[in-house]
Amino acid sequence: MFEIRFHGRGGQGAVMAAQTIAEAAVNEGLEAQAFPHFGAERRGAPVMAFARIDTKKISVRTQVYVPDMLVVMDESLLDIEPVADGLKDTGSAVINTSSSPENIDLGKRVRCVTVDATTIALETLKAPIVNTAILGAMAKADPLVSLGSIKKAIISRFGEHLGEKAGALNAEAAQRAYEKAIIGESIAKRQQAKRSMWLPTWQDMPAGVALHPGEVGGMKVGPGSAVQVRTGTWRTRTPRYIEERCVRCVKCWFICPDAAIHRRKDDRIDIDYDHCKGCGICSTVCPARAIEMVRGARL
Amino acid sequence: MKVKVLSGDHAVAHAVKLCKVDVIPTYPITPQTLIIEKISDFIFDGEFDATFMHADSEHSAMSMAVGASATGVRTFTATASQGLALMHEMLYVAPQTRLPIVMANVNRSLGAGSGIWAEYNDSMPERESGWMQVYVEDCQEAMDAIIQAYRVAEDHRVMLPMMVCLDAFVLSHTVEKVLVPEQSEVDAFLPRFRPMNYLDTSNPKFINIAVSPAHSMEMRYQMDHLMRGVAPFIDEVDEEFSKMFGRRYGGVIEEYRMEDADYALMTLGTATSTARVAVDELRAEGRKVGLIKLRFMRPFPHERLRRALEHVKAFGVFDRSISMNGFGPVFTEARNSLYGTGVPVTDHIAGIGGRDLTVQMFKEMFQRIEDSVKGGGRDCYWHGLRGEQI
Ligand code: SF4
Ligand code: SF4
Repeated sequence: MFEIRFHGRGGQGAVMAAQTIAEAAVNEGLEAQAFPHFGAERRGAPVMAFARIDTKKISVRTQVYVPDMLVVMDESLLDIEPVADGLKDTGSAVINTSSSPENIDLGKRVRCVTVDATTIALETLKAPIVNTAILGAMAKADPLVSLGSIKKAIISRFGEHLGEKAGALNAEAAQRAYEKAIIGESIAKRQQAKRSMWLPTWQDMPAGVALHPGEVGGMKVGPGSAVQVRTGTWRTRTPRYIEERCVRCVKCWFICPDAAIHRRKDDRIDIDYDHCKGCGICSTVCPARAIEMVRGARL
Repeated sequence: MKVKVLSGDHAVAHAVKLCKVDVIPTYPITPQTLIIEKISDFIFDGEFDATFMHADSEHSAMSMAVGASATGVRTFTATASQGLALMHEMLYVAPQTRLPIVMANVNRSLGAGSGIWAEYNDSMPERESGWMQVYVEDCQEAMDAIIQAYRVAEDHRVMLPMMVCLDAFVLSHTVEKVLVPEQSEVDAFLPRFRPMNYLDTSNPKFINIAVSPAHSMEMRYQMDHLMRGVAPFIDEVDEEFSKMFGRRYGGVIEEYRMEDADYALMTLGTATSTARVAVDELRAEGRKVGLIKLRFMRPFPHERLRRALEHVKAFGVFDRSISMNGFGPVFTEARNSLYGTGVPVTDHIAGIGGRDLTVQMFKEMFQRIEDSVKGGGRDCYWHGLRGEQI
């Protein structure tokens, strides 16, 4: 059995990618299964999806803990999620990045295929939806399912949802990614981080989880604990403040849905990049064009 | 027959179309939404001729379903968790008035304390309502169970509504290979709906009226008597289904590697799939273990279960919900079935709130079941719980 784990952000199409590879496998006469794992159901939040492919009926339905293939649809996840956790030494990783494999630090040396899926998606589809480009790179990383079957599955799945033309364009994105993907090896400099989560025993869990502000095992819990939840990592576009244009109307401060704009004494502003999700509302409401949205997770 | 790659929810939607359902009143709720979105797509695209109705709540959706079915048309609806809870009041009308509505319930826990993930504490309390309940394991079964459901429910020896229960996400949003039958095959298997109690101006009758204490006891006994006798019809329909489609599910239960098994576990829903892997691995080590897949919670297969367990030394039951007094609902039923046989029975609570179920967990259950022969252990074990169970 071949197991794949996808790491992406809500809106990038990780779930659709998992479903498409499953359909491609079934088209080749194999058995397959694909399913999502949702955390926060929001655009930009880290999401996972899983796929399994086998020659016989697949029975097991647990999540994928020891993948044969790891797919990372957003490079910034490498720094915030333990994506390579459990990846087999003989496995491979497919990463959406503009760097080459020898610059990808997975904390593990494995066969690594890199592709700039974002650029391919922007050029081909005019949108940063990278799932179909990633599928092309996956065919290059492991010939388990052929590029031809993947393209056929893309045309059927995306065609059904978005129309024939979109199906063909998405298949083209996969073809281009297949051609451009670079095969190499990842590096192992970083320590494999574990996700930090508050996991109390039932005895330690406050009744009804009525949490007061406080600290448990070095982690802030309860009201105010959102400070440590760096939702800014969800961002794919970043606001840049151009102070000399600012007319100090504080509209941006008032409207930011994540309270990520702090108002200074003189009514100029500071942006809290640990919590800004990059929605761009501040930039839209600013009458002085003093906030510009820049592509990418950082300035 | 066509091979498609479908999610559990979409498999249900395809089945509803193939069953030529007439009226579909709905209210959306995660993770059921894929079902009703797909159905409305079919109707919009002109592939499916049905009346799709938007209700203002689940309570209204079930009321509309009762009303529709009472005019003598095939009716379907779908919901999940809080939605089913809101339907609760109206659920009781359908069985008492003998309206064979089929409903998909995507099992999801009720809050607070949990979210949108798989747990059976939404549908288990409704086993008292008079609805039949089938729990399905994979996307193919989700589709086939809907087709079988109408055939069973609309049989004049039955005429009861049926709930087809599928696990949130682990099934509702998982895609797999599904063999979609031809319309002609389904037409041949599922005859046109012949209503029993329906509103007809040329033959006026009362349905769903208030009755006095002088009559309600007899009405309840009718229902109880009816439900107790339904299991053989379910087995019979499954048998006929297998002749037509080449797939069989065993009727009310399925036995997996039970021949010569000393220790048996009973599971329901998607847990069964992962438990099969545990059984295969333990069998490969020479352990005599077997699995029983519980398909129907109502009617509960007391008799088939007793027969299947005649030779076992110990038996365990997996529960994905808990009645807050120490036991899960499936265990409580199963122990009733085995009363007097002397076989030790243990309860195994796991997967609560959608906690991932692993092969290892099922192996641990089998170990506990084997150990139960020696006596002195607990009646109920929680698997995957942080903190010691006391
Ligand atoms: S982009 Fe602007 S409005 Fe949106 S979260 Fe960031 S600071 Fe707030
Ligand atoms: S909306 Fe624009 S002009 Fe107004 S305070 Fe914010 S940045 Fe300055």
